[in-house]
Amino acid sequence: MLAIAVPAAGVVLAMALGGRQAERIALAAASAGLCIALAIAANIWQSRTPIAYHLGGWAPPLGIALRADGLSAIMAVTTAVVICAIGLFARQGFSVPEGAQEARAPMVFWTLLMGVWAGLNAVWFGADLFTLYVALELLTFGAVPLVSLDGRAETLAAALRYLLFALLGSAMYLLGVALFYGAYGTLDIALLSGLVRAEPVVWVAVALMTAGLIAKTALFPLHLWLPPAHAGAPAAASALLSALVVKGSFVLIVRIWFDTIPSLLNQAAAQMLAALGAAAIVFGSVLALRQERLKLLIAYSTIAQIGYLFFLFPLASAPLRVASGTTELWTGVAWTGGVLQLVSHAVAKAAMFMAAGLIAEALGHDRIAGLGGIARVLPMTVFAFGLGGMSLMGLPPSGGFVAKAMLLMAAVAEGQWWWSVVILAGGLLAAGYVFRVLTPALAATDAPLTLRTPVSSGRQGVVLALAICALLLGLVPLRPSLLLEVGRHIPTTVIAR
Amino acid sequence: MNAAGTLLGAALALPLAMLLACLSSRLRTKMPALLAIAPVPALAAALLGSGGTLALPQMLLLLRFTLDVPGALLLGVAALLWIAAGIYASAWLQDRPDGGRFVVWWLLTLSGSIGVFIAADLVSFYLVFSMVSLAAYGLIVDDGTPRARRNGLIYVALALLGEAFLLMAFVLLAQGIAGDSLLIRDAVATLPTSPWRASILILLILGFGAKIGLVPFHVWMPLAYRAAPIPAAAVLSGAAVKAGVIGLIRFLPLNVATPGWGEALVVAGLFSAFYGVAIGITQRNPKTVLAYSSVSQMGVIGTVLGMGLAVGDGDAALSVGFYAAHHTLAKGALFLAVGVAQITGARRLWPVVLLPATIVSLGLAGFPLTGGALAKLVVKVPVGDGIVGTFMSLSSAGTTLLMLHFLCRLAVSSAASATSTVPARLALPWLAMALACVVVPWAIYLTVMDGSIADVVARATLWGAFWPCLLGGALAIGLRRVGGRLPRVPDGDIAGVVVAGATRFARAMGVLLERLDEVLRQWPVAGVALVGVAVVLTALMLTGR
Repeated sequence: MLAIAVPAAGVVLAMALGGRQAERIALAAASAGLCIALAIAANIWQSRTPIAYHLGGWAPPLGIALRADGLSAIMAVTTAVVICAIGLFARQGFSVPEGAQEARAPMVFWTLLMGVWAGLNAVWFGADLFTLYVALELLTFGAVPLVSLDGRAETLAAALRYLLFALLGSAMYLLGVALFYGAYGTLDIALLSGLVRAEPVVWVAVALMTAGLIAKTALFPLHLWLPPAHAGAPAAASALLSALVVKGSFVLIVRIWFDTIPSLLNQAAAQMLAALGAAAIVFGSVLALRQERLKLLIAYSTIAQIGYLFFLFPLASAPLRVASGTTELWTGVAWTGGVLQLVSHAVAKAAMFMAAGLIAEALGHDRIAGLGGIARVLPMTVFAFGLGGMSLMGLPPSGGFVAKAMLLMAAVAEGQWWWSVVILAGGLLAAGYVFRVLTPALAATDAPLTLRTPVSSGRQGVVLALAICALLLGLVPLRPSLLLEVGRHIPTTVIAR
Repeated sequence: MNAAGTLLGAALALPLAMLLACLSSRLRTKMPALLAIAPVPALAAALLGSGGTLALPQMLLLLRFTLDVPGALLLGVAALLWIAAGIYASAWLQDRPDGGRFVVWWLLTLSGSIGVFIAADLVSFYLVFSMVSLAAYGLIVDDGTPRARRNGLIYVALALLGEAFLLMAFVLLAQGIAGDSLLIRDAVATLPTSPWRASILILLILGFGAKIGLVPFHVWMPLAYRAAPIPAAAVLSGAAVKAGVIGLIRFLPLNVATPGWGEALVVAGLFSAFYGVAIGITQRNPKTVLAYSSVSQMGVIGTVLGMGLAVGDGDAALSVGFYAAHHTLAKGALFLAVGVAQITGARRLWPVVLLPATIVSLGLAGFPLTGGALAKLVVKVPVGDGIVGTFMSLSSAGTTLLMLHFLCRLAVSSAASATSTVPARLALPWLAMALACVVVPWAIYLTVMDGSIADVVARATLWGAFWPCLLGGALAIGLRRVGGRLPRVPDGDIAGVVVAGATRFARAMGVLLERLDEVLRQWPVAGVALVGVAVVLTALMLTGR
């Protein structure tokens, strides 16, 4: 599949040609990658069937398969869009200084950007648990150095913390993979889904893998690494980490639960994941409200927004409890809502982190108390931050609104109304921390602000364009998306005894 | 889509197009002069577009708009107020260098305010309702003082809380609809038999109650109207607040008798009606007095709707629409009067401000032959002559008292120089609105409401409208005697206490969770948590199923 090959080739080329070329290669790869992702999505949209590709022509269980369904396609397009935006944004911060042959930070940044991208695409398209493990590692080893690009001691510590915890998570995942292989002799997801039986080895394997992946997703209470890592990284890297990298491990959990063991979905465990998600929403939002620094606020908001994703598990797997048999429709609504939350948070959060980066660059600091009057100087940036915040709050029209409305509808229809209380409260808390930033930013000041460095309107434009994407996602209709239904295992076989 | 539908589209499209034009800074500086044009298509739609429908099928999200009679009434008067206030705002903005920011918030609020009267489905209603509610924040905090910012935050917090209630209500409503339709009409039709009927009704009343300021949600009104500049206060108190009224009209199942709920709304409304008067007479700022009058008037509207809901009187919708239409004109006009009075010399105050303001104020109290008397006559049908009817007359007496108090405060707020004159561009919108307060209700009464003059001039009607005013006048004389001894209630009465309590609670929670964060982010704890998650998941899956 070209989608993985292009960024991977980009990594190699950049390494080989080095220096000044890395940026150009990355941007060329980004535009090519966007076209490929769109082509895949269009193909799936038209044919309404998943695309499968067997590497070297060998079919599983011997060979390695890649598979693109609706979820993969949407994630690939989102990734490409966000990466393009990050690439355009980072051109200024990570260009090689005039006269120098090569500089460390730009070289590393552009290479890692493509490395992470290749890892992400491998996660979206991987069809067996071991390929996914490799993808996950690629992702982690690409993401960790991004945290410490500036080489300061505190970011190095944050990166190390991230690395260690991610390694723990990987080890648990690998353990689960081994258990699956030992029990069934294959790791191909499609084959496994036909083989798995309700037996302890499956439960242990799934629990280990899920816990490991949760650690990498930074779901409460396993979030220790996220705030320092996401807040310490340069803005472009933070955007990448917060918008996309944590989503990679989340999608893997989805693959395990909904694709590998669709016939064995367990409501009690799903409820527990959602409960952790609910705790994350409250906890992350309240802590976001108490942060003094803008980037830490956004990092804690990521913890809260990740919480919403985990409502997917009980809501998209609900057994047929409703007599009318409409649960199938509502699990579809929850599925679309959950994925839309994935996408809209990715777009909105990337825009917000880059907006925060511009503000920090212009002011030389990112203390919220010192933002007074910044809207006068950087109107487009603050506007973009506000639009991203709108999506987090769940105000219409925005992707966040549609996502939350769909999760709410599914929660109520499936008789799990208690989650709706958390979803609504989370929106109010999000409004709180967004207003905490916007209120000083929009305030009038007596003395005009002096900027440390001027900010180009082109970079502001990139951020605004991304924020407008988050807004346009609000036009998605409130019903199960046909594209997302492609290749989805509908857990209709699960009926509560 | 028909010609009337096109008008509906234009009503929304013009303010939105002007908003887009504001992206260009060159056009933005020209925009303050054009504010009064934005609501003109909405006025045309209200006059000619009744029955029109508009769907936007090109969008992925299907938005639908339609105009019924109560909607047209409110749309028309709201557009009229937006035009008058727009002229006032244009003159007021003339010398401001940064008028562009005000204009953006103004146009956003205007678009939402027009949209709520014509939105026909749940999604578009929620969209425009959020727009009018949240954009108003920008108008309230316009002067940028810490006080305005604090008041704005309290406003926006309550607005968001109300919206959370509404979103939940809409989600529950949408469950009942068979098929893909999200039309409000279809949703409300299923409400009486919905398994979540009680939850939906309570969420609707809380959500829209927060918007129209039913006690205890009223605290934002005095704070917001006092902080907002004059033209903004006029449109917020007159037009924007009617988003809540049209919401109640559209969403309450008025065609089906819903006993219990109707009575609850009546009690809540009557309490607000008298509470607003009681606190209002202790206030000295004329804008705050007007805000408390709004609390009281919205209470009256809640009462009428409650009576309609209790017996299943679908006609109550139109009666309430008419009553609210008069309030839109009168309250908007009086806020403009406050602005005009501040720059009028004492010598010209009587002809330019006080005389017309007296007529408008007495109209709110229902003085015979005024527009307000017609409004009170119309809502007499759903209210009836029982105990609630008596309370309504008493609330008219309270309104008389409060409005006379307002006039006294207005009379002492003239400009420093006794001979200063008001520019015509500020005075004319006020005088035009004052005229509209009498003429427009009469026109609507005789045409749309199909009322007869004989009913209005019948002796019983005249006396029924007159005695509360007489009683209110007597009370006002009493108030002047004891006025100095009344307790000083801060504007926003309970807001200070509630905000202080909420802040303390939030701080305590924050500190608690921050400590938790510190604990959880230690390595040993995180390691244990990681293993714990795996163990609990395994255990759940082993024992589950």
